Amino acid sequence: MMNSWSEKERFMTSPEQNLDLNVLSKITGTQEFLTRVPIFSGAPAGVAKMFAYLAKREEYAKGEEIISRGARGDRLFLIVSGKVDIFQTYKERRFHMQLLHAESVNYFGELALLAEFDWFFSARAWTDVVLLTISREAFTKVMERFPDSYKVMVQKIIKLHINRFVDQGSSLLGNISPEAWREDPPEG
Amino acid sequence: MQLFLLSIIVISLFFKVYPLEMQKRIINEAIYLKDTHLLFLYCGLYIGAVTIASLLKYATNVIQLYIGQKILVEMRTELYHHVLQLPLQFYRKMQPGTVISAMTAELNAIGFFLGGALAIPVTSVLTFVVFIGFMFNLNPLLALLSMGVYPLEIIVIPYLQKKYNKLNKKRVKTTRFMANVVNESISGIHEIHGNASYRLEEEKLSSYVHQLYTLMKKLFIVKYGIKFANNLFQSMGPFILFLVGGYMAINGQFTLGALVAFLSAYEKVYDPWKELIEYYQDYQDAHVRYRQIMKTFDLDPEHALLPFNRAPFTLKGNISMKNITFTVPSGVKLLENINLDIKANEQVALVGYSGSGKSTLSLLIAQLYDASQGTVSIDNHQIGDLTKLDICSNVAMIAQQPFIFSGTIRDNLLYGIQAVTADSPPPDRSSVLAVIRQVGLQDDIIRFGLQAVLTPEQCKPFREKFLRMRQIIQTSLKSAFEKAIEFYDATAYLHYSSIRDNIVFGDSLSGQFAVERLPDNPSFIELLQEMNLEQPLLTLGYAIATQSVPLLADFQDDEFFFRDNPMEADEFTTYSNLIKKLTGPQPKEKEARRLLLILALRFIPQKHSIVSLPSAMEAKILAARRRFQEIVVHIHMDHSRILEAWTPCVKAPQFGEPVDFIPFCPSEYMYTHTLLDNILFGAVKSEQALDEQLRNLAGQAFQDERLLDEVMDIGLDFEVGSKGDRLSGGQKQKLAIARAFLKDAPILIMDEATASLDNTSQARIQGLLETDYKGKKTVIAVIHRLDLTPAYDRIVVLKAGRIVEQGTYDELMERKGAFYDLARAES
Repeated sequence: MMNSWSEKERFMTSPEQNLDLNVLSKITGTQEFLTRVPIFSGAPAGVAKMFAYLAKREEYAKGEEIISRGARGDRLFLIVSGKVDIFQTYKERRFHMQLLHAESVNYFGELALLAEFDWFFSARAWTDVVLLTISREAFTKVMERFPDSYKVMVQKIIKLHINRFVDQGSSLLGNISPEAWREDPPEG
Repeated sequence: MQLFLLSIIVISLFFKVYPLEMQKRIINEAIYLKDTHLLFLYCGLYIGAVTIASLLKYATNVIQLYIGQKILVEMRTELYHHVLQLPLQFYRKMQPGTVISAMTAELNAIGFFLGGALAIPVTSVLTFVVFIGFMFNLNPLLALLSMGVYPLEIIVIPYLQKKYNKLNKKRVKTTRFMANVVNESISGIHEIHGNASYRLEEEKLSSYVHQLYTLMKKLFIVKYGIKFANNLFQSMGPFILFLVGGYMAINGQFTLGALVAFLSAYEKVYDPWKELIEYYQDYQDAHVRYRQIMKTFDLDPEHALLPFNRAPFTLKGNISMKNITFTVPSGVKLLENINLDIKANEQVALVGYSGSGKSTLSLLIAQLYDASQGTVSIDNHQIGDLTKLDICSNVAMIAQQPFIFSGTIRDNLLYGIQAVTADSPPPDRSSVLAVIRQVGLQDDIIRFGLQAVLTPEQCKPFREKFLRMRQIIQTSLKSAFEKAIEFYDATAYLHYSSIRDNIVFGDSLSGQFAVERLPDNPSFIELLQEMNLEQPLLTLGYAIATQSVPLLADFQDDEFFFRDNPMEADEFTTYSNLIKKLTGPQPKEKEARRLLLILALRFIPQKHSIVSLPSAMEAKILAARRRFQEIVVHIHMDHSRILEAWTPCVKAPQFGEPVDFIPFCPSEYMYTHTLLDNILFGAVKSEQALDEQLRNLAGQAFQDERLLDEVMDIGLDFEVGSKGDRLSGGQKQKLAIARAFLKDAPILIMDEATASLDNTSQARIQGLLETDYKGKKTVIAVIHRLDLTPAYDRIVVLKAGRIVEQGTYDELMERKGAFYDLARAES
């Protein structure tokens, strides 16, 4: 079977099949994706292009752990496709914090670009997932070359983190047990 | 040898005078009588004698050198033996540069002189006498006249020589100082870079450089003065000869032939004379150097090396110090009136402020220093009477900043043992590895082992075990490792391997299939053409180059940006120039094609995000792989899909022809790859995925089958670099501790031995003392961190060279004395 396959392969090759340079280029596609992600939207083309070049693709099968709490936080994750479950384990039970997907809040781990810390949450693939990641090292290296963009990026990352915080908070409040609700403190 | 030399010299004398006699006869008989037959005969005899004389001269030179070098070997060995044994006190004053320059350059000159010490004066004096005799024989008056200049020379030359010697002595000294400055700055290069103190260091050297310059100027003025005097005197002779001899020849008192022979003889007589003078100079020079060396090292070792007429003692470890005082040459007393008894197997901690003398006290027990007053004894033997061998077989010492020698980890580990028992076999592997585990060095050693690239010879004893480790990963751990590793599979396209690896799918031991050499390999290029792959690969290389050059133009100074690119940072300019020249992806020029092809062959689809590989290419590359195996390396890999099949892929070598190509076959060890690559047998998808959990999983599986010992064995052969530079501070310290533990001596001295270790490692070593060594070894530990002291049987507190307190931790804390204060100051 192998033989017939390779024979066929040999006949299939013809000059028309030669590679098209436009097909080969990969960065442009990634760059387009990045400009649609809030963190990089509005970044100068040079910056976006460099991040497109340095971004890494990671794929996870449904149910696979992406990051686990306590491990060293070292990169930002952007969801290209699929859903990611952000959770925390408390008293041996898993608490869902957020379900992220490509069309909503499609990023996590953004703080890892700015500082060194251990992950304070865990993430796993809720469906099959394709991710792009950018390491803190890459972020720092690029920002050294574009100091003007740095301030803007930092502000953006913090704003996005607040957005997520709010989103997470309201989703938690929606699921909270009625006993957690408190009246005003008693007078006197 | 000397006798043989002497006889050669005597024989050669005859062949030196004989040509002169021939000269005379050629002119007086052959030419005068116009007898060509006689001319040929004399000329033949002349050339024969000259040839023999030169050959004999050559022989004497060679023998001289041989004798000199033999003496040099002896002197050097002797001197080094002596220098190594000199007491530590000596090295407090002595700079290493002095020793180095004495051992090398200065000794060299002496050896060179000694070789000629016998031959030169004998040859010269004899030749001198024979030639003068010949001259007197020809004409006594002329001989006497031409000898007249020599006495003058005997007065002038020695005068100049004395001056020269004085200057030369200064030169030797200055050169030594200079060597010391250079030596010190190289040793302290960290500090110099840290402080950017280049100017300071240059200034230090420049004063010596200038001194040396002035000295050398003077030295050469005198040296050439001597030469000038010699030359002048030499020309005096012929002047007299022509004047007087010519006059006599005109008047018929002297034949022309005799005059020519006389002139030749005079010139010849000058050679031995010159040699004698040079000999005299060399003698003086060597004498100066020799005296200088002897003066520097004129000091006897304090202790005998080997015991006389007995085996070294086996001591129990009872240490007793009585009224010990230790004074340094400046008069400061580092220790004063110390009385201390340590029982065998007692563990004692020495504590105190820095400068209290606790380190010095421990060094006295190790016989590294000798007490100025009082006695130290071990098991009732006075330490001064014990030999070096007694001490080193019974005392193991770990210094605060241990020295690691260049060589392998194993060399350093066995250093202490091999010194004591040179003849007995080295300790077996299990005890070496046990010590490595005890001090917590196993993870490092395993890592070194995994990074090793092994030659077939090194690999041979362990090959089966290493392949077994691969098999474990490939079978029982396969599902766990699949997320981190893309295993080599002869029938699948590998997305985490380069296109080169995908086609060649193996490696050649001779390196003939290295990426950089493939474009020049005719059979490989033919294969690409046959498979219609050359054009698409050139296009791929072109795409990589045209995408990368503009993108990375502003980033070419940082290798980080080239990490995930087939192009390397230092190749950027080459490719940037190439792109400017090229008009399309299919250049005609050979070098351009080569460069593009290299980029394409290095391309790893999953790692290099600059371009993507159309999936149609994958199938073509796979087909090329099969074809490559079929027609280039002649290998069949079909069986390799069955993992249990241990049939090798490599064809059996024919007629002793060595195996060169090794495919990525489950049953082949890849000698061009690291051990880790061989075990994983695939490309790492991401370092993050190859995490702690996976490492532990594999480690456990290997441990269960006792396979890790083999890896550690390889790791022990890791080269540590000069002074152990390739090891971290902690690794060096652990290695030194392991070296001492391996010696298994009854007395263990630890001079802040764990101070540079992290807390976990420190606790591990401390735990070892409290369990394995408790009641088995006498331990004397100099300690700074007082929280380590509670475990010791006794704590001795020193202050300004005196013992102020001693007792157990609890006793001392209760007493609220010096120790209590120290402990409070620490917390």
